[in-house]
Amino acid sequence: MGFPTAPLVTIAFKDLAKSNAASRGMPLERICFTPHPVWGKSDAEMYAYLEGDDPVTGKPLMKEITDALTLPLTADEKKTGTVDISTGPPTYTDTADALQQYYLDNGMTDFMQIVLPTDERLAAMLKGTSHKPDEMVGKMSPARGSYPDWQFTVKHVAINAVMAGAKPEYLPTILAIAETGLTSLSSSTNSFATAAVINGPIRDTLNMNYGIGAMGPFSQPNAAIGRAWTMLSRNLSNSGIPGQTYLGTLGNSVNYNNLIIAENEKNSPWTPFSVQKGFKQDENVVSVFVGFSISQGQGGIGLGVKPVPQYHEAIAYNCIPFGPLFGALVVCDPLVAQGLVELGYKTKEQLADWLQKNTLISAKNARSTLFAGRWVPDANTPDDSMIPYYRSPDWYNFVVVGGQTNPYHMVANMSYRVSISIDKWA
Amino acid sequence: MNRRKLLSLLGISPALLAGATAKASSKNPKAAAPVAHAKITALNPKGLPPPVQLVPMAPRLASLDGKTIFLVSDGFPGADHFLAQVALWFQKNMPGVKTEYRLKAGAFADDDPKLNAEIKASGNAVIMAIGH
Repeated sequence: MGFPTAPLVTIAFKDLAKSNAASRGMPLERICFTPHPVWGKSDAEMYAYLEGDDPVTGKPLMKEITDALTLPLTADEKKTGTVDISTGPPTYTDTADALQQYYLDNGMTDFMQIVLPTDERLAAMLKGTSHKPDEMVGKMSPARGSYPDWQFTVKHVAINAVMAGAKPEYLPTILAIAETGLTSLSSSTNSFATAAVINGPIRDTLNMNYGIGAMGPFSQPNAAIGRAWTMLSRNLSNSGIPGQTYLGTLGNSVNYNNLIIAENEKNSPWTPFSVQKGFKQDENVVSVFVGFSISQGQGGIGLGVKPVPQYHEAIAYNCIPFGPLFGALVVCDPLVAQGLVELGYKTKEQLADWLQKNTLISAKNARSTLFAGRWVPDANTPDDSMIPYYRSPDWYNFVVVGGQTNPYHMVANMSYRVSISIDKWA
Repeated sequence: MNRRKLLSLLGISPALLAGATAKASSKNPKAAAPVAHAKITALNPKGLPPPVQLVPMAPRLASLDGKTIFLVSDGFPGADHFLAQVALWFQKNMPGVKTEYRLKAGAFADDDPKLNAEIKASGNAVIMAIGH
């Protein structure tokens, strides 16, 4: 930035701050640390932090800060140049058991057994795409802008697909997910989760499950494609190192293999999601989402209290606990979608429009919500005014999936990111 | 009802109970051979990290006396209150230091060129509060 700076970070983020400074070219940055947390402490408690010691060095904190701004730079702190980063040898040789343990101990897995990526298995996997092994696919980081992007080729993605137990015919879908550049292991303290919606004939070609138990562990393509996303996020972007590139305080079991949702286009009364995004119905497309997680939506307001279930009211009710950082990804069983059509919502857009107008929060609550500093209502809005929870209808997205055994829906507090053609990776 | 039909109705594959293992091993006797100690070679799954370009730190100040320090919040909860206490500390302990509070624009990790320009024009140093 060109002026002396003293970053002031809470101790919980020590490893993150130091490794981030190093990856941005300032490995000796004079970072000062306070106890954790700062948020929620009284003014007196915060002032006591300043009068106390830096928990890393044990020296008085304010002395550390003023020294950081005034002590002359050392020769190492003035250094320029380029340092190459190694990720280890190209291959490892040992017994199968020892290799399993090696991959696990070195953070290259999801802490479950993998399929060892041998040359033979890689060669078989690469038959799933016409693209050259050394073709660049994209770049990814644990949080865009906060960490350096790593790059990766078709071969890198294929190795991770092997490890996840994928078949060669799944590779184009996995390559499309990789191309989105969205890690499934976001570094955020919020323990985020990700979802991939898959549209097009490939759902049937791969025998994906979009019927009973569609989002559960009942289908090899759904499971392996989802697991591959986490495997490649870990290995191709350096995501998922607790304390450094992963800070989610509770963690999220969805991260094991993510929400892989093959839309039940056959039984949906609405336009497929990919078509909403401008693709043709016969194109194979993956669309990715990120956000907090997904929650069960049955039993809410509007269900069972009237002769005809008021699904739209139930969905609106289920969106209220959400944080305003992300939108809503509403996952409906075909029975719910058909019920909504009977209630007058002939299109997904009509339902989004109603939800945006009728899912409300008081201005007071909006102001007191976490991140309100960035989403705060206009200052002239009275505290008791009810305002839309989301700023526009396009914060609501809908996907139809499920086996029609019960009219259930779930709502994920997730935002849409991007849609990528699977066909281009065939 | 025969056994196969009953198992099928119970959701149990008759094949699983009717010698599938024996059939598999008799078809491929090599698969049953002990391989635990055989060495194999597996591939490194890591992507390509960018090289690190070392950035020299900005020259430090000889003294803070009479200087203006910008107290910059990146927007995480609590950072604004904490920086107010930092301002108070300077007021009490180093009154010759002037402090200016600013909230950085954009998301947490975004650069704020407008603020950077303002600090360059009218400030001497920055204390930036990051994290919860």
